[in-house]
Amino acid sequence: MKAAIKIHKPIKWGRVGSYAILILFAIIYASPLLILVNTSLKTLPDFMKNATSIASSFNFKNFIDAWTKANFPRYLTNSLIYTVSATLIFVVTAVFVAFPISRRYIKGANIILSLFVVALFLPPALIPQFQLMLALGLYNNPIGYILLFTINPIGMVILVNYIKTIPKELDEAAALDGCGYLKFMTSILFPLIRPAVATVAVLHAIGIWNELILPTIYLTNKDYYPITRGMIVFQGVYGSNWPTLAAAVLLMTLPMLLIFLLMQRYIISGLTQGAVKG
Amino acid sequence: MIAYHFGRGRARLAPYLFLIPGLLLYLIIALGPSLATAGFSFTNATGIRGAPINWVGFENYKEFLLLGQAAKDNFGALGRTLIFCFFVTTIQFSLGLFVAMLVNQGLKGTNFFRTLYFMPVILGAVIQGLIWSLFLYPLGGPMARLLEFFGTSSEFLGGAPAVAFTWVIVVQIWANMGTTMIIFLAGLQTIPTEMYEAAEIDGASKWQIFKNVTWPLLTPSVNTNLLLNIIGSLQAWQLFLVLIGYRNGTQVLGYMIYAQGFGQTSGSTSSSFRQGYAAAASIILFILVLIIGSITQTILNRRERRILG
Repeated sequence: MKAAIKIHKPIKWGRVGSYAILILFAIIYASPLLILVNTSLKTLPDFMKNATSIASSFNFKNFIDAWTKANFPRYLTNSLIYTVSATLIFVVTAVFVAFPISRRYIKGANIILSLFVVALFLPPALIPQFQLMLALGLYNNPIGYILLFTINPIGMVILVNYIKTIPKELDEAAALDGCGYLKFMTSILFPLIRPAVATVAVLHAIGIWNELILPTIYLTNKDYYPITRGMIVFQGVYGSNWPTLAAAVLLMTLPMLLIFLLMQRYIISGLTQGAVKG
Repeated sequence: MIAYHFGRGRARLAPYLFLIPGLLLYLIIALGPSLATAGFSFTNATGIRGAPINWVGFENYKEFLLLGQAAKDNFGALGRTLIFCFFVTTIQFSLGLFVAMLVNQGLKGTNFFRTLYFMPVILGAVIQGLIWSLFLYPLGGPMARLLEFFGTSSEFLGGAPAVAFTWVIVVQIWANMGTTMIIFLAGLQTIPTEMYEAAEIDGASKWQIFKNVTWPLLTPSVNTNLLLNIIGSLQAWQLFLVLIGYRNGTQVLGYMIYAQGFGQTSGSTSSSFRQGYAAAASIILFILVLIIGSITQTILNRRERRILG
């Protein structure tokens, strides 16, 4: 019985304090989002009367308004097309660069790799890039816009490093079985480096999806706007109607949140690898 | 070069052939333009297709650094860029480390907290900015209410330049602290637990353990985070665009470059794009990043040698 009384461990203030701070930070991080959700469910008169009151009913009209008035389907489709096609082009072309560099199957492999690394330390390409696109007639052109996103030096470095962990003996064995270069890449290498490809692709896709500056510079036709640019326009028009604006922001946030929760592992591993080795 | 197994003669060319598209895209879209920035900084290029581009020597630089009010504004922006960099780096670095250590204790629910703190990183500047515009809604928004409770008020992003600027710093840290935390977490997880146990057996206090075990062994992530934070914050300006727009007394260099090169608003015509001038400004920002970056790198390298050697 004595033991049973003594079973209470003394409260570790370290633990209580830690939780208190963790929860405080959680409030700072979650409350702007919760306010967004709350606002999106309110009517405009409700919001004007009291901006912070809890939504009294689930009012989904804001979402319908945002969806129809903000030209949302169009912008979302554009963003999806840009993101998917540019990411695909990038990943496929990058693996074909990363593999021979990583294996030293080409002359000057080191020089080519350093070309990619050096870009991280050079001035921004913004102005000459614009002049180039202008000269090529790719200004205000979806294809030109997609081309801008077909490269990613950090992603390249991550791929090169990952391919180094795939044993070289595999190449030899496959070649002895009569497997050609292209066939090896598509049917043996690609499946083996899927984790690195997923990491690089997700990071790259998030970057494209969230990009605001380049669409502002390169796309003047509203029909070409991605969702980021569309949101800024929508903010300009509906800036005072926060319930509808909040619903629009939420609609834009949901796909990102979903991808984040599903792919968190890849995103985090990419960020840490890119940071350490880039 | 090592042995190549996939054939000889023509077949030996396969790796070169398939490498070409990726390499060309990179050279044309990124590396070439990046190097050409210096060249454009000596011209009077505009945003009009086919318009003549003339060599103007150091005119753009002279104008940027020496010409009356414009130069004054530029130095204002330069100063703000440094202030922004200083506060964002110091606060984000310390908070990131602090939170990473909290999350690394193996407490229950850690994953939830880590995910929550990291989440803003993937939302991007538009969503981050709009979420905070609502949070800082001056007419009875949550933050206004909180201030009201303390008997004060603020116009936040619409208020005095210094106030608006401070809030951009807050949002910038809120948005990116997650990355700093994740990199520190990766570093913390490489420290073997035996090190802590040994220190505890020796009777070291928590502060001694941090000072003599955690901090020195964390050197790689300290270096990475410090450089990433400094370089990132010197170049960051997207949140300024979303949160306050181009307003006098708040601009940083990155935003100025964009405004000069591509017009302040989406409505301005491309003839007013001063791209040569903007290129010169980019080079100046680049030199600033280079100087501060290399000084930091040198200090970090010395520190690393001292700790390891």
